[in-house]
Amino acid sequence: MFARLVRESFLRNPKRKSLTAAALMVGMAVTTATLTVALDVGDRMAREFRSLGANLMITPQSDTLPVNIGGVDYRPVDEGAYLNQADLGKLKMIFWRHNILGITPFLDVPAEIQGSQPIRTTLIGTWYEHSLPVPDGTTFKTGLSVTHPWWKVQGRWFESGAKECVVGTSLAASYPGGMRPGMTISLAARDSTSPGAAQAIPLLVTGIASTGGAEDKAVLAPLSVAQDLSGHPGKVRQVFVSALTKPEDSLAGRDPKTLTATEYDQWFCSPYISSIQFQIKQSLPGTDVRAIRRVADTEGRILSRISTLLWIVTLAALTAAGLAVASTAATAILRRRAEIGIMKAIGGTNGMVSSIFLVEQMILATLGGAIGYFIGTGLARILGKSVFGVPATPRLILLPIVLGLAALVAVVGSVIPLRQAAHYDPAPILRGE
Amino acid sequence: MFGRLLWRLVVGSRGRLVMALLAVTGGAAVISGLLNLDFDIEHKLAQEFRLLGPNLVIAREGEGQPQGEGASPALLMDESAVTRALNAMSTSDLAGAAPYLYIVGRVADTPVVVAGTEIKEARALNPTWKIEGSPAEGQCLVGRNVARQFNLAPSSSLQLSYMGRTTNLTVGAVLDSGGAEDDQLFAALPSVQSLAGMPGQIELEQLRVKGQPKAIAAFADALQDSLPAYTVRPIPQATAAEGNLLHRTKLLIVSMVLLILTLTTLCVLATMSALALERRIDVGLMKALGGSIGRIMALFFAEASVVGAAGGCAGSLIGILLARWMGERVFHAAIAPNWKVYPMTIGLMVVAAVLGALPLRLLGSVKPAFILRGE
Repeated sequence: MFARLVRESFLRNPKRKSLTAAALMVGMAVTTATLTVALDVGDRMAREFRSLGANLMITPQSDTLPVNIGGVDYRPVDEGAYLNQADLGKLKMIFWRHNILGITPFLDVPAEIQGSQPIRTTLIGTWYEHSLPVPDGTTFKTGLSVTHPWWKVQGRWFESGAKECVVGTSLAASYPGGMRPGMTISLAARDSTSPGAAQAIPLLVTGIASTGGAEDKAVLAPLSVAQDLSGHPGKVRQVFVSALTKPEDSLAGRDPKTLTATEYDQWFCSPYISSIQFQIKQSLPGTDVRAIRRVADTEGRILSRISTLLWIVTLAALTAAGLAVASTAATAILRRRAEIGIMKAIGGTNGMVSSIFLVEQMILATLGGAIGYFIGTGLARILGKSVFGVPATPRLILLPIVLGLAALVAVVGSVIPLRQAAHYDPAPILRGE
Repeated sequence: MFGRLLWRLVVGSRGRLVMALLAVTGGAAVISGLLNLDFDIEHKLAQEFRLLGPNLVIAREGEGQPQGEGASPALLMDESAVTRALNAMSTSDLAGAAPYLYIVGRVADTPVVVAGTEIKEARALNPTWKIEGSPAEGQCLVGRNVARQFNLAPSSSLQLSYMGRTTNLTVGAVLDSGGAEDDQLFAALPSVQSLAGMPGQIELEQLRVKGQPKAIAAFADALQDSLPAYTVRPIPQATAAEGNLLHRTKLLIVSMVLLILTLTTLCVLATMSALALERRIDVGLMKALGGSIGRIMALFFAEASVVGAAGGCAGSLIGILLARWMGERVFHAAIAPNWKVYPMTIGLMVVAAVLGALPLRLLGSVKPAFILRGE
């Protein structure tokens, strides 16, 4: 009997229900879209922050201090300790290897540009886009383009392994006669006593670089050129790593030695900058791994702020959607006062009448919610694409949540008018008053 | 007459209209909160990006590298000229500035980069520096690695030598920056200048300028004009990320506003189309009494505007509180209320409500004769 009543009520005059269903559909589409984007946003924003470049720095533990001013190491190249270039592939073997987005090694060599009057400068050997072999047999394309994306070049960057170079803008400006891409300069190492050091290497200038740092006064060349020139094949002085991290929370701030076993696992398995730092140190013994606080702290703080912000925005959107849907559901019930009057006139109890309407609303909620979920997933793709350039990942886990929310909103919207309906006197309604 | 009719109309169907009003108010509250946030977020994010440190440097272009023991004379700038130029700039744009003179000194015969600077200014410029200890005036800061190398701790003393001259320094604190500063020793500028024999000379001035990339570039250009002998360069690292992030956050907020507007319109639409069905009889009567359909529609749209405006006003009031709460929660600082937001919100809500009332146009096809016959 109850089922038949519901079916009849539902199938008869479907137009009347279409508005509630449409409101539910759009409301839930908005809900799905905002939630899908919100779930993705932390990750996307973290990626956005990688345009700040490297957030970790690896240096060898050495007996002398680097003579580091503005990021360039001015030590004579034979002094101090080195890292092995061959070990760098190990960085892509750590637990959080997929979060390592870029690795760029540096070898700074005091050098001079030969000519009638030699010009003292520093040769910075590095990678722009280099294929790094990883021990698991794959290669990883990395270099300055990832770790120092704000370094700009007029002309083009050097090819990996070629006898080419890029000259810093200040150096180029002060070079007698000016420096243009297409010129060839002859570069020799200063103060090198290493027996394997090459005499002088002619390098084709392919571009003029501007970095805003000490590199503007230096010559940037492929790492292999710096290694040959200094006689230190396979060696690098410092490595910059760009890693995708999660903002630090209370767990991340603690000393790993004081954590319990489960806490330690949780810490190890979260991409905090401290745990990635720890894992790199484990895979490259004898090194000093530092978080570049300027970048890491800024990123962590702004990321956590923005993700709180976006959750609040999402919550606000959900509230607005809920209110809109509930008010539509309420309107739909109000329109059917006459029906309620008849049901009550022929002996329907308040509970009976309410349950018929509620079941009907639930069915509408399920239908509207399900369709809304799919529309919302499409909407999230468009939204993600327009905001972040990458479509948001659809999440099936949201389907039950959205259905539940739809049911909740529809029921909440119906309860108030139904309670009012309980006070209706059937007679005046039937008279059409 | 029109006003009285409108009043009766609104009062007569207040039950229905309350539902629409509820949705409009909710939408307006969220939209005004979000718009407020949107207007203030640039400022708030710029505050956060202060953590990145300096975004402009003044240096002297020229050939030269630290010549074994220190800065080459070709790279030095006149400290007083730089200070004069900075003082001439508007102080409201400049968030901080610190001069630097680098020399490579020796501690226990090991070369160490010594940065002569105004330590207080340098710390203010680099809020991410972690300082262990509280340095007093005239004491020096040592980088983490320098402290480890020479076994230094706050209040231990060290002897710094440079080209045969020596000076004694007391360590005020240990600095952890995670960058090149970890390998450096920071001492007061005048003492480094006298040790190096370069009085009144600096090598670098780091600045933090407030504002967006455009404002920073404008500041740099103005400063460049007053310091033609030196070069003013922006540090592009910070500005690019800041611009990107701001753009994306704003885009996201605007998308949310659009979605909520659509939803509110739809909700008004639902209420109004229910009302349209009910009002067939009223409209028939009005038409029979000689009301033109244009006038009747004007009445209904005015009704929708009243709902939009009332909801917009109420929502804006709630929105003020919402924006305040969001600011406290996210940035630990209230969001500056922007009065532009409220007329905007009310306007948007009126537009949404009028759009939602479009189905009432269907009533134009009502034939008074049929209605009066009771069909």
